[in-house]
Amino acid sequence: MNILFQNVMPSPLNSIKHSLDSIWGNKFSLSKGQKVLLNASSGKGKSTFSSILFGIRSDFEGELFFDDKSTKDFSRSEWTGYRRTKLSIVFQDLQLFPDLTVSENLLLKNDLTQSFLSNEVKAMVEKLGIGQKWNEKCGVLSMGQQQRVAIIRSLLQPFEWLILDEPFSHLDENNIKICLELINERCDQLGAGFILTSLGSNHNFIYDNELKL
Amino acid sequence: MLRKLLFHNQSKKQLVIALIGSLLGMVFLVLSIHYSIIIQKFGEGTDVLGPNTLIVQKKVTNSSSLNLTKTDFSLKEIEKIKAKEFVKDIQPISSNNFDVSFETSDPLVPYFRSDIFVQTIPENFIDVNTTKWKWKKGDKYVPMIMPREFLVMLNTFMSASGIPQISEDLVKEVSFKFKVWNNDKTEKFDVKIIGFTNEVSSILIPLNFMEFCNLNYGNSKGEKITQVLILGEEGRFGLVEEMLKERGLEPKNSQLIVGRLKSVVGTLFAIIFMISLITVFTSLLVLIQYIQLLLTKNSYEIRTLLRMGYFEKSLVKIITTNFIRLVGFICLLSFFLFIGVKILIDEICIKGGLYIDTGFTLGSVIGLTIAFLLFAIISFKIVQKEVVKLF
Repeated sequence: MNILFQNVMPSPLNSIKHSLDSIWGNKFSLSKGQKVLLNASSGKGKSTFSSILFGIRSDFEGELFFDDKSTKDFSRSEWTGYRRTKLSIVFQDLQLFPDLTVSENLLLKNDLTQSFLSNEVKAMVEKLGIGQKWNEKCGVLSMGQQQRVAIIRSLLQPFEWLILDEPFSHLDENNIKICLELINERCDQLGAGFILTSLGSNHNFIYDNELKL
Repeated sequence: MLRKLLFHNQSKKQLVIALIGSLLGMVFLVLSIHYSIIIQKFGEGTDVLGPNTLIVQKKVTNSSSLNLTKTDFSLKEIEKIKAKEFVKDIQPISSNNFDVSFETSDPLVPYFRSDIFVQTIPENFIDVNTTKWKWKKGDKYVPMIMPREFLVMLNTFMSASGIPQISEDLVKEVSFKFKVWNNDKTEKFDVKIIGFTNEVSSILIPLNFMEFCNLNYGNSKGEKITQVLILGEEGRFGLVEEMLKERGLEPKNSQLIVGRLKSVVGTLFAIIFMISLITVFTSLLVLIQYIQLLLTKNSYEIRTLLRMGYFEKSLVKIITTNFIRLVGFICLLSFFLFIGVKILIDEICIKGGLYIDTGFTLGSVIGLTIAFLLFAIISFKIVQKEVVKLF
């Protein structure tokens, strides 16, 4: 799925002056399978970008196209369909269920599309070094552990684009490297692209395209 | 897992209170609907006169005996009564203006003859099979409705003659004749009894027969209206009674007692019905408020599930089904409780000599079904609205 931003300007950012090469108010496209970095300081609209792309926000001028279809014409059930099979996300605030265990959080997502067997999900958890937390409630995990759960959750579905909104902010370089490996592996397997938003660092991530805000 | 996630933030105490309120409200609602219907039906079919019907005449006083006041109704008076909002209909009762006698005509029954007084009640006031209540010249027999007092008199005569007394069913099989005459001619008509009445003291005959006889055998005196039939509005007997008092009219007492009883008990159940409605409405309101509270408390979970790719329809279905099951269970429980209370009330009534219909009324089941459907629809709409808001 190709993505086209056509003069998109979020309402809250309308009054701010943006640079000429900013994505806001300009036309740009993202091609299927691309690895994209969106690196900017706080308050520039990284999360707004993720939210618009994921259909959570619609308070913007201009138009967003998935292939040739404007998202303004999407019904709620169409958005849900995209969220099941074409778009996946790691929210900046993670949006896990604190009262559910790690396994419950992950299987709740996996049950939607039955993308993996339970032991395959557990293998991913172990790969990211939180295997011993499998039956622990997410609410008691550290932020870094929760970030790894949220990353695994985002991979438990088919997708064409993975949106990662500052997903490594509480992880050390070694864990970021392991996470990026897992993400790359899954994206390559699906032929999918991903967009990584980051606060100043590129995490040694090899990207095809960099967006500016 | 979804159920666990969507219902983990619920206050069970509030839910239990709302469910107990709904249960009590629904039991009272079904009971009040059931007994309101039973009370309205009470007395139906026991007499030829329809329910809420009174035969009314003017009180005979000293002044009327001295011919100072009239005991007959003028057309103006009838019109005035008809204009009252609680009076559905008023019709004069026609009486014979000819000489008539009633006699047995059966070899198995000893000969009996008596001069009688016959009257006609309009068809719409009579609670009998109207196809039987017809007469035209040349018909095999004249249908008639006999006062039960007349049957008692007949049985007294039979007993005195050493013949076994006869039941209501049997007397319908006995042959009788009307003899109608004037100075010039006499005619006899076969008669068939088709019903009995406690409420009218005279023998009732169809209007066509009355008109035929009045025309062919009547004397020249004009007919006076001394009695009228009043059909009151259901459950408003109190007002009818008050009007009768004001106008110096009197009904037959037994009719008034049944009417008054129905009116009082009917009003009582109407009040219970209103209270039940308020109870059901309030408890449903609490349940609905509970649903809204639950949705607010779980808004994070619902929103996240929607973002994860769960369809809003499936979340609405899970939440609504849960509540519909609960209310369905409450409805079922209230129906069983209703049956228990109903058996108890019926027994008390029968012990007290009040022979009410002990069957089930469709209205009570419909009332319960409507309450359930109302809740199901409202809860579905609220859940749908709140979930859509969170998308």
